[in-house]
Amino acid sequence: MIQTDHLSKWYGRVAAVKDLNLYVRRGTILGLVGENGAGKTTTLSILATLTTPTSGRAYVNGYEVSRQPQGVRRSIGYMPDSFGVYDDIRVEEYLTFYAECYRVPRRLTQARCKEYLDWVGLWEHRDKYVNNLSRGMQQRLEIARCLMHDPPVLILDEPTSGLDPRSRIEVRGVLAKLRELGKTMLISSHILHELSEVADEIGILRGGELVALAALDVVLSHSSAYRSLWVEATADVRTWARLLEGDPRVLDYRVEPDGVELSFAGTVEQQADLLARLVRSGLAVRQFAERPTDLEALYLRLTEQREAT
Amino acid sequence: MLRNPLLLKEFRQRMRTWRAPFVICGYFCAMFAFTLFLLHENVQGQLTLLLPSRSEQVFVTLSLVQLLVAAFLAPAFAAGAISGERERRTLVVLLSTPLSALGILIGKILSSSALLALLLAVSLPLYSLVFLFGGAVPGEVVAVFAFQLFTLVLIAAISVCWSTLALRSGWSTVVSYATVAVMVVLTGVLGYGLQLVAAHDPVEYFLVIWGKCLLELNPLWVEAALAGAVPASPHAWLWFALAYSSVCCILAVPSVLRLRPQALSFLPWRPRAEERDYH
Ligand SMILES: Nc1ncnc2c1ncn2[C@@H]1O[C@H](COP(=O)(O)OP(=O)(O)OP(=O)(O)O)[C@@H](O)[C@H]1O
Ligand SMILES: [Mg+2]
Repeated sequence: MIQTDHLSKWYGRVAAVKDLNLYVRRGTILGLVGENGAGKTTTLSILATLTTPTSGRAYVNGYEVSRQPQGVRRSIGYMPDSFGVYDDIRVEEYLTFYAECYRVPRRLTQARCKEYLDWVGLWEHRDKYVNNLSRGMQQRLEIARCLMHDPPVLILDEPTSGLDPRSRIEVRGVLAKLRELGKTMLISSHILHELSEVADEIGILRGGELVALAALDVVLSHSSAYRSLWVEATADVRTWARLLEGDPRVLDYRVEPDGVELSFAGTVEQQADLLARLVRSGLAVRQFAERPTDLEALYLRLTEQREAT
Repeated sequence: MLRNPLLLKEFRQRMRTWRAPFVICGYFCAMFAFTLFLLHENVQGQLTLLLPSRSEQVFVTLSLVQLLVAAFLAPAFAAGAISGERERRTLVVLLSTPLSALGILIGKILSSSALLALLLAVSLPLYSLVFLFGGAVPGEVVAVFAFQLFTLVLIAAISVCWSTLALRSGWSTVVSYATVAVMVVLTGVLGYGLQLVAAHDPVEYFLVIWGKCLLELNPLWVEAALAGAVPASPHAWLWFALAYSSVCCILAVPSVLRLRPQALSFLPWRPRAEERDYH
């Protein structure tokens, strides 16, 4: 459904995407993870026909992006990483406008407006002006906009970026629901766990190259093998840090002036046990948080494993 | 053409607020007052510029002022058409839809000249006021009105192209106004100057031709010719239309490529559009 063939994009002497080979089967959801500047946006905008590749080919729904761009555009719903909305236009008119751009028949537009606004939880806001919606609502509206012409492929670039935690959860809820639609999707993010409820497969991009590609559970099992936790308590760090030594799942810990960072090899339940044990021993825990997995370490582990087998 | 979604959307957006009707009323009143003033002066015969008993002159003055207003206001509406979308970051979304580049440009040209076209249309009844005092022929009025509309759309088209090519609205506004200044002021001054020089030195036949050609690129001159106020070759408007239409076509090619870098990918020697930082 989506395929790239030695795809490269050079900006002057900088390679934003380098010899990328991707394949996304019909109905699967691929999450592209990478740090800032990894080439996610460039890849997705080539697939959305907005950027022309320097070399290589890319196919979406059987159409080649440089030769049959119109076919590609009709087959995809594309959500850019940062987008703006028009002033002086209401939510419903906004969706109608884009439906017209895709030549969706009028009689379908109304029904779909209702269906998808309901779906992203914006039906009660349908008469509001788009520019007065919160960023989180605009982001959900944009997802509804991508669905208006019922495309077989969705390409979403960092759909949860730039949001506060609450709207992030709401948008993630919508993304998780997208699974039900059975569409082929490509979603990018710079946080792996954002995609854990959505994606079937995870590809890790680094410097424009695909350094790892694996099923979601494989990636997650590797990333959760060494979870990085941050613990802060009111007591002096040196006095309680040795409490951690008793736990066999704490592989390693580092004492810092205001807390402890530790590598934890265990399930989420075992993680909860650790917290309970700390609290039972009379420690006033101020913070107990999972730090985002270091993608660098993760892809190293994934590639190590591939070489081992 | 009327199913152009951009055009429909902008009409919806514009007509919702009270601004458009307010502007139209204001403009009509201003023009009405101006016409009355001209007629009054004309009847009194105090305005030395106008020959008494020839309200033809009133018609010409009125229509020239209208053309000037349209020519200098058109870039204000059109020069931000595409660059504004880029600055508001809505252009990316628009370009990811299957709208064709020409469709986008045409939608923008028509929507940005619509209000001014309406202004020109509402002041048509004023000409009938002029008819009351004799003078202008209906045929001339129709020709002048059509020419005004053409010039308006032309300037809007050039401005929209500049707005596609320039990265910033500021730049496209500057370049669009520069274009209008060349069309309205430079061609007039140069053409008239050359004719004056030629009048002193009739041997310089080329000067006469050049002066004539330049003047016939000036919308004010061509309109005055259409109204029968100045001498010009009978098909001056044709030369005007051809010259500026080709300018538009030339500007349209890079504009289309800017919006849709793949547009010419069927050619064997594909021109490489540099879309760096465009979206
Ligand atoms: N228009 C451009 N001109 C020049 N260089 C560019 C351009 N767009 C991207 N790049 C470069 O290409 C590389 C990849 O950029 P890209 O935007 O694809 O990364 P990304 O993975 O989307 O990052 P982010 O997480 O910040 O969105 C970067 O090094 C960037 O500097
Ligand atoms: Mg990006």
